[in-house]
Amino acid sequence: MKKYTIKRILISFFTLLTILLALFVLMQMMPGSPFNDEKLNNDQRMVLYAKYGLDQPIAVQFFRYVKNMLKGDFGVSYNISKNTPISQLIQTRLPVSIRIGGLAVSIGMVFGLLLGLLGALKHNTIWDSLATAISVMGVSVPSYVFALALSYTLGFRLGWFPMVYKEKLAILSSVMPGIALSMFTMAGIARFTRSEMLEVMGSDYMLLAESKGITGWALFLRHGLRNALLPIITVLAPLIVDLMTGSLVVEKIFAIPGVGSLLVNAIQSNDYNVVIALSFIYSSMYIIIMLVVDILYGVIDPRIRLTKEGD
Amino acid sequence: MEMKTSPGASSDLALEPFYMPVDSDFRFKDNTGEIPVDTNFAAQSFWKDVCIRYFGRASAVFGLVMILLISVMAAVGPGMNAYSYSQQSLDQKNFAPRVKGLEMFGIFDGNESINTAAGSKMVNQYQEKGLEDVYYWFGSDNFGRDIWTRTWTGARVSLIIAVAAAVINMVIGMGYGLLSGYFGGWVDMVLQRILEIASGIPRLVTVTLLLLVLQPGMLTIIFALMLTEWIGMSRIVRAEMLKLKEQEFVLASKTLGAGSLFIIFREILPNIIGTVITQVMFSIPTAIFTEAFLSFLGLGVPVPQCSLGSLISEGFNSFTTHPYQIIPPIGVMALLMLSFNLAADGLREALDPKLKER
Repeated sequence: MKKYTIKRILISFFTLLTILLALFVLMQMMPGSPFNDEKLNNDQRMVLYAKYGLDQPIAVQFFRYVKNMLKGDFGVSYNISKNTPISQLIQTRLPVSIRIGGLAVSIGMVFGLLLGLLGALKHNTIWDSLATAISVMGVSVPSYVFALALSYTLGFRLGWFPMVYKEKLAILSSVMPGIALSMFTMAGIARFTRSEMLEVMGSDYMLLAESKGITGWALFLRHGLRNALLPIITVLAPLIVDLMTGSLVVEKIFAIPGVGSLLVNAIQSNDYNVVIALSFIYSSMYIIIMLVVDILYGVIDPRIRLTKEGD
Repeated sequence: MEMKTSPGASSDLALEPFYMPVDSDFRFKDNTGEIPVDTNFAAQSFWKDVCIRYFGRASAVFGLVMILLISVMAAVGPGMNAYSYSQQSLDQKNFAPRVKGLEMFGIFDGNESINTAAGSKMVNQYQEKGLEDVYYWFGSDNFGRDIWTRTWTGARVSLIIAVAAAVINMVIGMGYGLLSGYFGGWVDMVLQRILEIASGIPRLVTVTLLLLVLQPGMLTIIFALMLTEWIGMSRIVRAEMLKLKEQEFVLASKTLGAGSLFIIFREILPNIIGTVITQVMFSIPTAIFTEAFLSFLGLGVPVPQCSLGSLISEGFNSFTTHPYQIIPPIGVMALLMLSFNLAADGLREALDPKLKER
């Protein structure tokens, strides 16, 4: 277990370093220098370079850059809001994104589980087909299509929820984006729960439990669901990551002042610093989620740990 | 081969003269009626079996038919009327859908209800502007471009991007997985560490950064998809390779003197090609989705070209006032992704019926 954990952490570390290197190279490739003023002569430019450390070898610059990024010092924004530190921009937006993402994950988890269990318990009935149809739809229709459909029906036609995010109605405004984002998570979990549950229900230990006289809900909850739930953690990580991607477009549709819409704006207005900072944050979150889930899963299910160590 | 009973040999032994059988003494025993042949479950080739199982699933057949239908429409749809995808007629903008023949039944008659402060009212732009003989089957957008033509042109672009990306991924991912799995040892070690690092970088980040550096366009999108999508394919191929390379038929081939290339491509590849095709089918909807996603962010194909994603993002700007503009591209895209998912599901099931349902 220790060996496995250390290996996973090392790989995550190198991944982060690779991403930082890629971002750094990208920064170097951007045209022009920060001091393009024609009034500056060469000597003055050299003084400025020295002041900001741009005259040092590229390796030194890279290490300083890594240190700054890890400290959360991402520089300032050029276009979106001039000379505002990016960390400050992110600070106000991150809670909004996290709230909507959290809502989407919760909705997706709860309804996905219910749908999957429905499909497994009423296997090969009309309920099963219905649950499967819903989950196939959820996987194959992108989240922003749901967002647009919700926005048109519940928002525009019925007027139940605000079509654009309102600061004062934060909870009510989060409902539609939350639902739209949760569809994919829900479908993914529903499909996985169903297949996992079917496998557990057909296993020998369920037969044993049943033959010992355990029936009904006790059998289902204690022996069935508990064993089926474990593997669901593995699919949760990629689903959360997909959710982060989906949030970009959904935040744009509902005009939510979150991290996703900041990234979209930054891309569209070529604000490189912001794009790079947010890329770094997204990557770090992704890596941390993957790492935690992998290790967690190794703790919960020793079989996985052994096979993974084996390869 | 020399027989002991040949004439020369028998004369050496100098035994009593035996009757020497000649060829005409023998005839084939006609035993066709005696060999038990199972006619109920007649033996058939693997692929025929797959076909039968595939076409036994209604959802899979539906998926395949829809894919074919949309592909045909993407090929011929833009040529079915006189408009071109980039031709603008600014005096004919935001016309509601109108189809000859259907307009008698009160649908597709060019009427649309406009919501104003005073309430909603029915408007027919065709009659108001005196263009009684003009027909836009799916309506026209806010530059007066025909949405029918643009939808199918967009479907064509999206399909080309998706299929090209999926095929390139197949080649790269398959090559990587085959090499890594077959050679094992330090090759596998190095390749897998690289893969683990690559898979730790979110797709979103790779794609956006790439598009910042390169010119937006079809090739860039295909390249971006190529960089991110091969990982899943190579993992699957490697796992299959690890499973297969220990089997007896590979050992037999090795004993007969087959080289690595022969074993990889002639012995093992035919056994995993089904899995690979299924994976390609699953990666196409992902590619369509990513393209649409990038177009929505403004990183897609440049105007006046269009893809399903760019059409959706254009329609989004006026989807409360003219909802008919966004419905065709969204419908085609959702149907396309659904069909590919259904077809891929069916194929996976058909290739390996024992497989756990997912």
